[in-house]
Amino acid sequence: MATLELLGFGQNGWGALLLVATLMTLAVTATALLIGAVLGTLVATAKLSGNVLLVGLGNVYTTVFRGVPELLIIYLIYFGGSSAVTAVGQWLGYEGFLGLPSFAAGALAVGIISGSYQAEVYRGAYLAIAKGELEAASAIGMNRMLRLRRVVMPQVLRYAIPGLGNVWQLTLKDSALISVTGLAELMRTSQVAAGSTRQYFLFYIVGGVLYLLLTSFSDRVFNRAERRANRSMPAAAMGQA
Amino acid sequence: MPGVTRLSVRNIRKSFGSHEVLKGISLDAEDGDVISLLGASGSGKSTFLRCINLLETATDGEIFVDGEQIRMVRKNGQSRPESQKQVDHIRSELGMVFQSFNLWSHMTILQNVIEGPVHVLKRPKAECIAEAEALLDKVGIADKRHAYPAHLSGGQQQRAAIARALAMKPKVMLFDEPTSALDPELVGEVLRVMRALAEEGMTMLVVTHEMSFARNVSNRVVFMRQGLVDSSGTPDDMFGSGASPAFRQFIGHFGGEQ
Amino acid sequence: MDIAFLSSAMVTLLKAVPMTLLLFSLSVFFGGLLALVIVTMRVSGNRILSGFAKGYIFVFRGSPLLIQMFLVFYGLGQFGVIRYSFLWPFLREPVVCAVLSLALCTAGYSAEIFRSGIRAVSPKEIEAARAIGMSGFLLVRRIIAPIAFRHALPAYSTEIVLMMKSTALASLVTVWEVTGVAQRLISQTYRTMEVFLCAALIYLVLNFLILQGMALLEHSLSKHRRAAPPSAVKA
Repeated sequence: MATLELLGFGQNGWGALLLVATLMTLAVTATALLIGAVLGTLVATAKLSGNVLLVGLGNVYTTVFRGVPELLIIYLIYFGGSSAVTAVGQWLGYEGFLGLPSFAAGALAVGIISGSYQAEVYRGAYLAIAKGELEAASAIGMNRMLRLRRVVMPQVLRYAIPGLGNVWQLTLKDSALISVTGLAELMRTSQVAAGSTRQYFLFYIVGGVLYLLLTSFSDRVFNRAERRANRSMPAAAMGQA
Repeated sequence: MPGVTRLSVRNIRKSFGSHEVLKGISLDAEDGDVISLLGASGSGKSTFLRCINLLETATDGEIFVDGEQIRMVRKNGQSRPESQKQVDHIRSELGMVFQSFNLWSHMTILQNVIEGPVHVLKRPKAECIAEAEALLDKVGIADKRHAYPAHLSGGQQQRAAIARALAMKPKVMLFDEPTSALDPELVGEVLRVMRALAEEGMTMLVVTHEMSFARNVSNRVVFMRQGLVDSSGTPDDMFGSGASPAFRQFIGHFGGEQ
Repeated sequence: MDIAFLSSAMVTLLKAVPMTLLLFSLSVFFGGLLALVIVTMRVSGNRILSGFAKGYIFVFRGSPLLIQMFLVFYGLGQFGVIRYSFLWPFLREPVVCAVLSLALCTAGYSAEIFRSGIRAVSPKEIEAARAIGMSGFLLVRRIIAPIAFRHALPAYSTEIVLMMKSTALASLVTVWEVTGVAQRLISQTYRTMEVFLCAALIYLVLNFLILQGMALLEHSLSKHRRAAPPSAVKA
């Protein structure tokens, strides 16, 4: 009975807060994924450019942000970003410490990490496009932009969907680490609920179950998207997907 | 308009590194000409075709399409087109059919065919669809217009690729070994479409290994050997007593008299 | 760049490397063993065992490691059975909790990786082994396991690099490994960038060493894929 009350939506219940926190987790993950999409596209373009300097920079990005613990990167952005904001504040005449909003810092940090994985997904997807199809686009008189828009992008997206599904799951789980900035997402809220009720086991199990719901639901969404995107593929390849 | 020169290529050279693949090739195609380019693999015939629409950049030489010269500049000893815009324009006037079809796999057959007219030539979509459907009917795959390339046989894909090239209303059609990637039983359906095109008076340049096509459909045969034109002439001359020894030996590999 | 600060930060961080390595090696070892158990259940053909393994993999791959770790660290002590058992002196230790949750989590991922390795063993090779009279454990030990492991190795290398990164979470249950020490340095000095660079360098070197080690292992396990030595060709 007490358990139900704790998880309910009543005065002593954490239900509403956990629900809001779940939505916050979704929001911060989606923002991070978008930031990662922009960064990942830039890094993948650099890595495919053939320019020695750009390729090198791209490799450094993916090596560092896939190789260094996520927590360190969150500290870098959260604390480093806050010092930067404070410095700008002082320059503008404001005395005292200014913190970076935890949502922005968290989404940016996890977005940077997500970008390093997305870069590899996009690069692989680009390389999967049959070279002849690009040649056919040139041969019909398409300029670079048109070729990119009509032939390259749609196919990169199609080939990237399975990889993006994996990156989404990874980003969703990484978003739990944003709790260290104090953002009231699912992990942080479970932690607060557990601490203030002393019902650690209960709230971490509930938090875990909510994460499982998110990951399995989004898995289903991506599978459906993949099937849809693959309708132009041979039947045999669809069976494998 | 017979007598109008649709394509004129003068003294094309092409090197990959220190290896010279084309050593100065010239060729003129008048309106309605159907020219078969023959040669052993490695003779440079595909490279030559790809130089014409600048999928490869020739090291030296001049190309005129319907009288318009492709302007080239030299930079650091490398030859390259002066204006990409002109290249795109020239390419839109040359229809290219590839050995491996190269249909865009994410588009249906109809979308493949209207892609160029709608997005490169910027013509009204409804008009392009009507024309595309007529073309697909002509190459015999009207019923496949909403299928994706991966769901078609090789022969059907190649016919779709021909329709895609024709939709641009090209001045010259270039065929790069259009039947080489096909199973033997599918070669005929593609050759029939090409023959019909030739009979309509389309100017065509065809790199091929199909001796029957060279002999019976084209009005000129050019035999390339080691990066040069070894000999050329009407099919009757070439396959008759006037053949060069090298050509005679070459067609010998295909079973001699066909 | 302040070289004096960088080098003193580096020295402080390097002192925490043994703890990171301890977490890493213990959790890879126990996680690997547990993964073998899970994957055996998963491919056993027994519906209950395989269902349990499926559930295990789903839960530990589908939720964040941090919540698993907090569950172990804070949640277990809530139960009198555990609190008053002989295990409690162990389970009270943050390091033990960290290793336990790291191992439980990586077991889920590794089991899936091993399973795809097993699926890559061709039925013909198994048939050939059966034909000479192998079965049961002998078949697994001599034929299936070596082939499966070789197939699984690249993905497993990636997984253990991820494990190296995951040891950082132990700092949140008060284990002073490299990331925890880095966080403390940052909050003491506010020199985020310098500390980050030093810590990042340590992790990148560790990853590099792991990958080199794995590549060496892969090389020695894939003799059959390399070109035959000239002498063998002549013979």
